[in-house]
Amino acid sequence: MSTHTAAAENQYIVRFTTKQRVEHFVTMIDFVGLVATGLPQKFYTARWAQGLIGFMGGIDNVRWLHRFFGIVLLISVVVHGAGAVSAILSRRVGFSMAVNKRDFSDVVQTLRYYLGLADHPAPFDRYDYKQKWEYWSLMIGNVIMILSGLTLMYPAVAARFAPGELIPAAKVAHSNEGLMAFLVISIWHIFNAHLHPDVFPFDACIFTGKISRERMEHEHPLELARLEGRPPPAAGHGH
Amino acid sequence: MRRLYPTLLLALAALPARAAIPAEQDSCLGCHGSDPTMTMDLPGAPGQDGKPQPEKLGLYVDQESFAKSVHGDMLKCTDCHTDKSDYPHDTKPFKTKRDVTVAFYEQCKKCHFSNYTKTLDGVHYQLAQKGNRQAALCVDCHGSHAIGHPGEPRTRVSSTCAGCHKNVAEAYGKSVHGKALTEGNSDVPVCTDCHRAHDVTDPRAGALSLRTADICGRCHTDEKLMKRYGLSTKVVDTYLSDFHGMAASLQKGKKGKGERLAAGCTDCHGVHNIMRPSDPTSTVLQANLVQTCRKCHPQATANFPKAWMSHYEPSMKKSPLVWSVQLFYYILIPFILLSLVIQIALHLWRVVVNR
Repeated sequence: MSTHTAAAENQYIVRFTTKQRVEHFVTMIDFVGLVATGLPQKFYTARWAQGLIGFMGGIDNVRWLHRFFGIVLLISVVVHGAGAVSAILSRRVGFSMAVNKRDFSDVVQTLRYYLGLADHPAPFDRYDYKQKWEYWSLMIGNVIMILSGLTLMYPAVAARFAPGELIPAAKVAHSNEGLMAFLVISIWHIFNAHLHPDVFPFDACIFTGKISRERMEHEHPLELARLEGRPPPAAGHGH
Repeated sequence: MRRLYPTLLLALAALPARAAIPAEQDSCLGCHGSDPTMTMDLPGAPGQDGKPQPEKLGLYVDQESFAKSVHGDMLKCTDCHTDKSDYPHDTKPFKTKRDVTVAFYEQCKKCHFSNYTKTLDGVHYQLAQKGNRQAALCVDCHGSHAIGHPGEPRTRVSSTCAGCHKNVAEAYGKSVHGKALTEGNSDVPVCTDCHRAHDVTDPRAGALSLRTADICGRCHTDEKLMKRYGLSTKVVDTYLSDFHGMAASLQKGKKGKGERLAAGCTDCHGVHNIMRPSDPTSTVLQANLVQTCRKCHPQATANFPKAWMSHYEPSMKKSPLVWSVQLFYYILIPFILLSLVIQIALHLWRVVVNR
């Protein structure tokens, strides 16, 4: 094998499995559906909201659509959670999304780099702290949305087991958590997946499942070294 | 001239009522104004036994009450009774007194065209179109010869409607609004304030119920008016920020069927029988509330009514859980967004500096 072919073979690395790509795709579509049917209910006095609700066939329809997307979310979270737990249990491997001490020092190191106090950002493993933060925010958010959503969907049942005040509290939580998710995704996710100088205009990795070796070296050097059986590099690369 | 007006008005008022009636009336009143027992026999409609039930149509006009009416110094008899300019009169084949009313009521539209047009959207007209001969026509509410200013006094409106809507009037009479009205309080709503006068909405379709936030809100958001009774003006806003208010507001503009899924004011407080919330028979009294919730939420249990915050805004005292969750997000959302935006800005700044 010549060096040339070896380099060509290594040009792309498989980063995401088909299941992960499908999960992302479903979540993406479902999220748009939830936001489109949810936010207009929160801001129902606004003209745009009333227009959107009218376009979707009135509030009756919008509520059913929202519940449909909500149940899809519930199913996808259960499937994902069960998959993650069984993967950890059966393969006895570490959960690469788990937050560890290193993530906190990575935050400090990266912020120091941004401020010009360090020469390079922290070198990351499979998931950097930003990705972990977004993943866990989404997961915790999903659980809050599902629980509060079910409470609002079956208020009379909920009141059988809990004080009635839980229902308006669930509404406040659902409405604010939903707004926050929408804002975080619009600002943070759109920046990282589209406007980030390294990936502009579009990071296709989660759709194709593949990432270039060059980007791996740049963004996940620790994982790359581990995959190639090398010791971790001494220093990271500047973004 | 301006100073002269009151004097002139006084002079007019001092004149005997008879003088206000135009002279042309005299020839009509020669017959119709002298004998109070003057009647005409009508064959009548068939009764339950199939035989016609003869009726007597009164032909006497009380000159004084006509003179005092809004039309007293304005209209001649023949302005409305257009077919009676000749003597002997053309005789029309009326069978009942109702036939006469139905035949003549459209005379009003010659002058009162806009109000007549409004009635075309009203439930009474719709019923009349379907063949209901009892549905109210202009003269049923306004009277014929003794027409006064509408709504003067306000108590008269409710007693006018009570003429046909007896059960409703009875319930209203016992309600917080109805009781106050009989005590001479004119702050309270009379029938037409909610139902309108000419374009009376059919309340059975549910459209009226969805509009109650606007209808009740006209008075219940009026600071000055509510202060008189120590009532909160937040009732509408707190309703609108709740699920029921959202769903009702979005549905009220829509026509046609579709599930009416949100409670309006009247669904909880009652319609004509609205009581003070502290009244033992009030549908919104804490002890009666589960029963009221069950109208729409059949599975509601004792805890359920607490899901509704009784028109209070979330506060540490009234609903600590809701208040805490709200506070949590009021702090969390700006904190998170600010952190993310700062990090993005620093990141981009670093990219620019490195170049």
